[in-house]
Amino acid sequence: MNATKADVKVKPQAAKKKKPASLDKKKAHAGWFFVLPFVVIFVAVYIPIIINSITFSFNELEIQQMGGYELIFIGMDNYTEALFVDSGFVPTLVSGMRQLILDIPAIVIFSLFMAILLNEKMVGRTVFRAIFFIPVILSTGIIDTLDQSNSMMNYMQNAGEEMGGEGGQATANEIISAIDIQKLFQNMKIGQGLVDYVVNIVNDIYNVVNRSGVQMLIFLSGLQSINPAIYESCKIDGASAWETFWKITFPMISPMIMVNTIYTVIDSFTSKSNQVMAYIRNVYDSAANGQVLASAMSWMYFLVVILLIAIVAGLLSMYIFYQRRD
Amino acid sequence: MDAPKILKDSKNKIRVDFERTSLAERLKAKYLSTAFLGKVIWKIFRLVLLVGIAYIILFPFFTKIAGSFMSREDLVDVTVRLIPRYPTLDTYKYIIKENSYFQAFINTFLLSLMCAAVQTFICAIVGYGLAKFKFKGNKLVFAAVIFTMIVPHETIKLSMYMNFKFFDVFGLYGMLNDALHFSETGSIDLINSYWPMLILSLGGIAFKNGLYIFMMRQFFKGVPDELEEAAYIDGESTFGTFFKIILPISIPMMITIFIFAFSWQWTDNFYTDLFFTQSGALMMPRIITVPPSLSDDSFAAQGLYESCIENTCGLLVILPLILFYSYLQRYLIQGIERSGIVG
Repeated sequence: MNATKADVKVKPQAAKKKKPASLDKKKAHAGWFFVLPFVVIFVAVYIPIIINSITFSFNELEIQQMGGYELIFIGMDNYTEALFVDSGFVPTLVSGMRQLILDIPAIVIFSLFMAILLNEKMVGRTVFRAIFFIPVILSTGIIDTLDQSNSMMNYMQNAGEEMGGEGGQATANEIISAIDIQKLFQNMKIGQGLVDYVVNIVNDIYNVVNRSGVQMLIFLSGLQSINPAIYESCKIDGASAWETFWKITFPMISPMIMVNTIYTVIDSFTSKSNQVMAYIRNVYDSAANGQVLASAMSWMYFLVVILLIAIVAGLLSMYIFYQRRD
Repeated sequence: MDAPKILKDSKNKIRVDFERTSLAERLKAKYLSTAFLGKVIWKIFRLVLLVGIAYIILFPFFTKIAGSFMSREDLVDVTVRLIPRYPTLDTYKYIIKENSYFQAFINTFLLSLMCAAVQTFICAIVGYGLAKFKFKGNKLVFAAVIFTMIVPHETIKLSMYMNFKFFDVFGLYGMLNDALHFSETGSIDLINSYWPMLILSLGGIAFKNGLYIFMMRQFFKGVPDELEEAAYIDGESTFGTFFKIILPISIPMMITIFIFAFSWQWTDNFYTDLFFTQSGALMMPRIITVPPSLSDDSFAAQGLYESCIENTCGLLVILPLILFYSYLQRYLIQGIERSGIVG
């Protein structure tokens, strides 16, 4: 690292004297060749796509019979229409963001907990691991789309509920009812908000499990990279499992928590099951001039999420512990 | 307790004689402690939790499988729950025949294999470049990678379609066309070909490639520099080192990436719907329809029956993936375990 800093400083002199480039510098230049495929396609294909998309959001679009399309510049009209004329967009955006903020801790904590469980030595660990990563591989794309409104699944789950003789009051997907949880927390001084939150998470567990696969993998690899000698010395010093978790595992895994939090935000706001995205997709398909209106909406949504990521990253980076690697 | 007595048996052998705690005492100390009790409770709790969540994950698949064998009679029979009373293979038969399953299978297989292979290689190269070289603009390129990951597909759906429908890099093709006149439109129509996916894969900007590049970068950061320095001293070039030393040791990680890339491309219905329109190559997402022979509006529970059929289509789509996963799943976890991804 120091070598590069030095390189930058001596650069003007080197240019004057026409010295051959140093080994470090040569090596640094080779880096460009490795990232070249990405850079070329990014500049040649991706940036035009992004610029087009931004341009579309300020225009009205007409596709011509001959091939080719025509744009009519209308300024901020798409944006004002999305914000003030379209009655559904702003409420959907607000509730979508609220849902996203509530989902983040659930997914991160769940995946961390599961990664710790799957990291322990036990009988049938490989089987459990194989099962737990099924959703990552299978429940994406087509299956995700199918499951969003799956009347067969509802029918069969309903059937199970009725057989259990619970009465027809509980809805199909509820595993436990709010009353059970309230009974459990009755004597503890826990606010109603938290109880509702836990109940929602438990009832939505399928969704949470489905969305935490990659996070579990990242946590698992993080847990594997902690030096076992640290745990050993902890044990010799007489630390309990609880203390070991908070004093060793948690700080060592904290960079992963950051990575996973950001990944969760990105993943859930680009996923199909996201309600804001569903709304935008609906606009894209239905409304006249909907395609450009959808671009305008999704750019606004993108800005809001970037802001959220910046805030989350800023907050978390204050608490992160980086092990010094020498 | 008395000090252990040492008895001399023979010239080369000694015997140590000491008072041992009785077996019952030792067992009592081991199994009747709170620590042991806690351990047992934890193990039971863990097992229940894991089995419960495994059930939650697997239950949808069970219902899909059960639904796929159901006939119309089963859906109106209120006593039938999960296990069909009149099982039938008609659903499978008609889907395979009328939705041309095998054609979609071959097309999707070729596309996924191509994309996964290209993406794995490209992401490894880019990840290596970002991890090991401190060139100027490294951070900028990395930010660009993260940017491609953050921008949602829906945002650029329209312009991506337009871009590949009227494909032209910086107007170069248009200029060539003005001079030589190969076509009417002045741009190339790449829709309904494998080109859009290949171009995106070659640049490492296709579906979720940002994540792959990130994972490869973290992996290569964990590889000690000394390994490459040794190769440089032996006179190996940067590329030689990469292909001869670095690629072989990163195979477990690359298998992980390959599994992700292949299966996500397989079930992807965003890009395939966008780039393969009705008249083009048949891909997996488009076989999810009710075959004409099975649609009958006069039947009372037709909506439910169609849902069963669509779920069966979904099952047929992921069937090859299930086989692929059951064979490769240990590599998925091994690759991650050995990678030692660091934050």
